[in-house]
This record gives sequence, C-alpha cells and structure tokens, in this order.
Amino acid sequence: MTEEQQSESKPVAPTVKQNPDFEILYWIGCAASYDRRAQRVARATVKLLNAAGVNFAILGKEEKCTGDSARRLGDEFLFQELAEANIATLAKYKVRRIIAHCPHCVNALLKDYVQFGGEYEVLHHTQFLSQLLSDGRLKIEGEIPASLSGPLTYHDPCYLARVNGIHEAPRDVLNQSLAGRAGEQGVREMTRCREKTSCCGAGGGRMWMEEPPQQRVSTARAGEALATGATTVAVGCPFCLTMLTDGVAANESSARVLDVAEILTERLGL
Amino acid sequence: MTPTRETFGNISTSSQVVFYVVAVASMAVFGYGIWRRFRLWRQGQSISLKQLATGTVSQIATKIGPGLRRLLVDGLGQQRVRGRGLPSWAHGLMFAGFMMLFLGTTLLEINHLAEMVSKNLGFHHGLYYIIYELTLDLFGLLFIVGTSLFFARRLWKPPSVGHRGTDWLVLILFLAIGITGYFVEALRIVWQQPTGIGAQCSPVGLWLSSAFRGWTEGQARAAHLTVWWVHALLVFGFIAAIPFTRLFHLIAGPINLFLSKTVLGQLKPITLEEAERDGRIGVSDIRHLTSQQLVSLDACMECGRCEDVCPAFATQKPLSPKRVIQDLKGVMEHLADATPDTPLSPHDVIKPETLWSCTACSACVFVCPVRIDQLTLILDMRRHLTSEGGLSGTAATALRRMQSSANPWGFPQSERANWVPESTSPPPN
Ligand code: SF4
Ligand code: SF4
Repeated sequence: MTEEQQSESKPVAPTVKQNPDFEILYWIGCAASYDRRAQRVARATVKLLNAAGVNFAILGKEEKCTGDSARRLGDEFLFQELAEANIATLAKYKVRRIIAHCPHCVNALLKDYVQFGGEYEVLHHTQFLSQLLSDGRLKIEGEIPASLSGPLTYHDPCYLARVNGIHEAPRDVLNQSLAGRAGEQGVREMTRCREKTSCCGAGGGRMWMEEPPQQRVSTARAGEALATGATTVAVGCPFCLTMLTDGVAANESSARVLDVAEILTERLGL
Repeated sequence: MTPTRETFGNISTSSQVVFYVVAVASMAVFGYGIWRRFRLWRQGQSISLKQLATGTVSQIATKIGPGLRRLLVDGLGQQRVRGRGLPSWAHGLMFAGFMMLFLGTTLLEINHLAEMVSKNLGFHHGLYYIIYELTLDLFGLLFIVGTSLFFARRLWKPPSVGHRGTDWLVLILFLAIGITGYFVEALRIVWQQPTGIGAQCSPVGLWLSSAFRGWTEGQARAAHLTVWWVHALLVFGFIAAIPFTRLFHLIAGPINLFLSKTVLGQLKPITLEEAERDGRIGVSDIRHLTSQQLVSLDACMECGRCEDVCPAFATQKPLSPKRVIQDLKGVMEHLADATPDTPLSPHDVIKPETLWSCTACSACVFVCPVRIDQLTLILDMRRHLTSEGGLSGTAATALRRMQSSANPWGFPQSERANWVPESTSPPPN
C-alpha cells in the first residue's frame, strides 16, 4: 500500500487500539469531548494533524477528566483518583508524548501528574502546530480568505501563558495564518498579554460556578479584547472560548471567537 | 598626608561608651522583636531546615542553590520590584542607598574594632578612604531621593497600598537619618579642615560645609558632637523599630525568598495517610500552615500588587489576595498567647465566598515581589471547606459528576469519543 492509500483507510482520529504504533497522543479533554462548541476545536486540530500526516492516536473512551478543576476546588482525593486512573491508562499504551488543546489539561499532565509518577512530554496544540509549520509539514499557500481580513487579537490563557510560559507558539501560528493581509500586520496586542494576561474567569473550578452578570470576569476581559478593534478574538483554551464568547455577546459585539487551530484550518481552507 | 579621618574623631571616650551601651540596647530590642515573630513562625508545621544543611557539599549546594539565586536576583537584584514606574524607582533608590550605607557603616565598625586591636590593622585611609567616602556620599543622595519619592506616594495614597501610622514614622526617620548624616560630615569638614582630595571625596558634605563658613573650630566641634548624637540615636531608633514596623519585610522578605519554592500551577499533594493521621484535610487552624507560610505572612508589605491584578477583586467579588494575607497574619498574631488547644481558625475571619472567588489564575503569585504564594494558601483553605462538604451548588454538582462519570458534565463515558468526525472509511477491526 502506498502511504496515501494507508491514510485514506485510517479513521480520522484513531484510538490507541486502532493505531497502536502512534507517535503522539492527542489528549482531548472533557470540554472537546462533550461541549458542542469545543468539539469543533478538536475537529479542527484533527484536520490539521491529518493534513500534516501526523501519526497520532486518541484514548477515546478510556480517557477521563484530568481532575484539574477537582484539585483546584479542593477535592484532592477525587483528583488523585482520576490522575491515577489516567496515569495507568497512559502507561498501558506506553504514552510518552502528548498534545492537548486545553491548557488546564496541559498543566495537569505536566505539573500535577509528575507528582504521581506520570512523566510526559506535553505540548499545547499551538506549539505542535507551530512546529509543523516551521518543518514545512503544513504549508500556507494561496489567497487569504476574506473572513480573516479584519483585525485580530489573541487572549492568552493564564494556565498556558503565565503558568507554563507558552505564548510565542500561538502568536507564531496566528501571524503565519494572517500573513499576506492587506494593510494589517499580525496580531493586535491587548495591554495585558503574555505572562501578564488577565484571566477569563473560568479557572480554579469557576467554570462550574454561576455568577451575576455584573461580576463576570469574561465581560471585562472581552471588553479589553474588543478595545483593540479586533473583529476576531483568538483563544487557545476551550474554557476561554466559552467565556469570551459569552463576554463578546455581553459587550453586544459581533466579533468572532475562535481557537488558534480553527483559524489555521480556515486559512488553509481545510 | 594620606587622606583619612579618625573613626570616633571629636567623640569623647565617655560619649563612645554611652554610644555602645545604646547600641547594645537597640540591638536587644531588635533581637527581642525578631524573637517574638520567630516564636509565632515556629508554631507552624515543621519545614526541617536541618535537612537543608545535611549531605555532601554538592548535595547541599543543589538544595540551597535555588534559594540563594532568588535572594540574589529577587532580593539584591530587585527583579520583582521593578516594572511599576515611580514606586519601583523609589524602592530601587532607597534600597541601593540603604544597602550601601549599611555596608559602609559595617565596614567602619570593622575598621574601628581592628584599630582597637592594633593601629596597623586599620584600613580606613588612602585610596580605600577616597572610594569609600565618595561612594557613601553619593549613595546617601539616592537614599534621600528614594525616601522622598515614597513620601510623595504616601501623600497620594493609592487605594491598593496599605497605610499605617508607623509608615510616616519610618519615612521621617529615614529622611532625618539621611540629612543628619550629611550634617555630621559637613561639620566634621569644618573643624577638621581636610585639604586636597581628602575634602573633595565628599562632595555633598563639602558643599554643605560652606554653609558654616566663618565658624570657629570650637563651634564646629560642639555642633558636630550634637548632630552626631542625634544621627546615632536616630539610627539606633531605626534598628529597634525594624521588627515593629513595615520595615520588618527587610528580615521576613529575604527569609521567604530563600524558603519559598513556589512553582506556578503546582500544588502540594496530600496523602491518605496524612489525612488519616491529622484527622483533617487542608487548613482549618493557622498552625496547619507551614513555618515558611507563616514567615511569608510577615513578608507582605501590603504593596497591593496582588490586589491590582486579581480578576476576582476587579469584578467586585469579596476576594483580595492582599486582604487574605493580612487576615491570616492577624490570626497568626493570636498565636502569641494561645495554648495548643485554642482554636485559631482562619475560616473565622475569611469567608467561604472569598475563597470560592479565586480562579486560581496565579496572577497574584506571579507579581508578588517577595514570592508569597497567596494561591496555595487559598487552596489549602478550600481543601478544608470541600472536605467538610462546604461546597454547594453547580460546582458541587460538577464534582459529583466527575466522581460518577469522569467528566464535569456528567455525560456517559461511552459517549466520550462521539465528537470524532465521521471517518471516510470505517475503522479497521
Ligand atoms: S489566583 Fe486567585 S487570588 Fe490570585 S489573582 Fe488569581 S483570582 Fe486573585
Ligand atoms: S502579598 Fe505580595 S503582592 Fe500582595 S500585597 Fe503582599 S507583598 Fe504585595
């Protein structure tokens, strides 16, 4: 079989059972598993991985919540239960390298699991996509679609930019996706960005808490994003995606909120 | 003649004796103040300092290396004080001036003690003298400028910065020390009449001495002695005041920088054995904090940086990380007259709503100049609330769902891969 035929007969996101010789595991996380909007982020990422010919696999039904929210809500033993189950599953499939599009998963896999014997090389999907672009495995060609012509800003997720120092990779992917726009350069920055980013309001388990509209962090943060004049707000976290989508609506703006991977697929016409 | 000056020039032996008596007294007050706080810290969970000093030299080096680096970079290098415009400059100038004057005074004392052993051991002359006098003369200015900037800032009172009456005392003390220092020098120049480089190496003092032109040596000596005493008493007052004012961050700050091993995004695990042994999870008594965490409470100088960046505070929720630290410190202070059975619960002063407001974003931890870990303190208290069933509403539901279905939405595990896009061909069996 030629390589092309092989990739055609593969499922689009094979499980570790279907593709035991995977090189890298794509960790989906609860949001993209169950939240309709976040599912689109996972689909976009999968399209990109397939386009670049990446040999990856997912855990499918064997993946469980990383327990990030549980730990930060104070339920240490529930967290440990979930962590141990996941570490055992990852060991079973000899996982060493992981990509995740959720910064809370990235942080849990990197900094929480190592305390319980789970040591992995963990990359945020934007880091991996930036590598694929610089290795030429993903190529940006052709005309930029009209949908990407307006000003764009990027909201750094706390757990990615501040807590794990990852802020250049998403900008690299965005700037490459935006290259060739008439009149407009790359990402427009908010005053608080990179390590000094401001929270979207969903961390520490607050994703699962109700708050009165006037107290929403997301409204304030979306306001900062819109103040740049952006018509597209890029994010790198499924929680931020939910929060900023609500925040943009609360600001009565029609700006789009998209994950970095979705923007790259849009640029590539995938 | 080599440029020099006598260490206790113009100061009579009896004055010198009194000077040392007052010095010992102020050190005693200082020591007592530190001891008082130390006794509070010791009531926390042990952090086994001994362990830091055991092992081979290279083992010890790897253990204390990071702490020393934090002292050097964050402490001496003022790394985390920077970036805030005027207040950062004020602190930087005051710090540079203070450190240099402190070092200079220490060297002067060493020289004095050395000369008491043998005149030949003294080193306060010649080129050393020139560099010494010039450096101190200039850093004194930085000190005064920095202090004046802080004066301006206290007048202006930014709301997130803590204000206490003693802050004024400290600033006035500092300004007075700086100014009298220069007068001591100027009056010394008037009676000593140094010539050449010996006078030129104290430009500020020399400039000030021109104000006393025409004074007789006797007048100058008398005034010098008086101002010298005022200066000395102010310095001793300052030393004694350190443990009782905001200045205490001078001691607790560096200790905390050395001891705090904060890694953003990481929490300390609790084992089942620990939970069983202690009969609790998390923090329900101030003594459940580690000694290092207690030190960190004393390191806070209420600069308000944490509050300024906190998203919960910004959206009118009842949380300010600074307030949490100050409230915990308040509870810690009750340790002074507590028996082992007196309950000293932080939960009595910090409301659950305050603790639930935190998004664990780490912004506060990231900006704190003395590396206080507000987030871990908050989460340690949350752990106790949660273990007591204190979490209710939608978040509690999410936890129950994570328990039963391994996801916070409570969907069946079997549907976890339903998002997978339709494949172009069926998966191989
Ligand atoms: S971690 Fe919590 S207390 Fe600290 S800044 Fe963020 S929300 Fe505020
Ligand atoms: S906790 Fe740190 S940042 Fe906050 S007020 Fe105190 S010293 Fe400043």
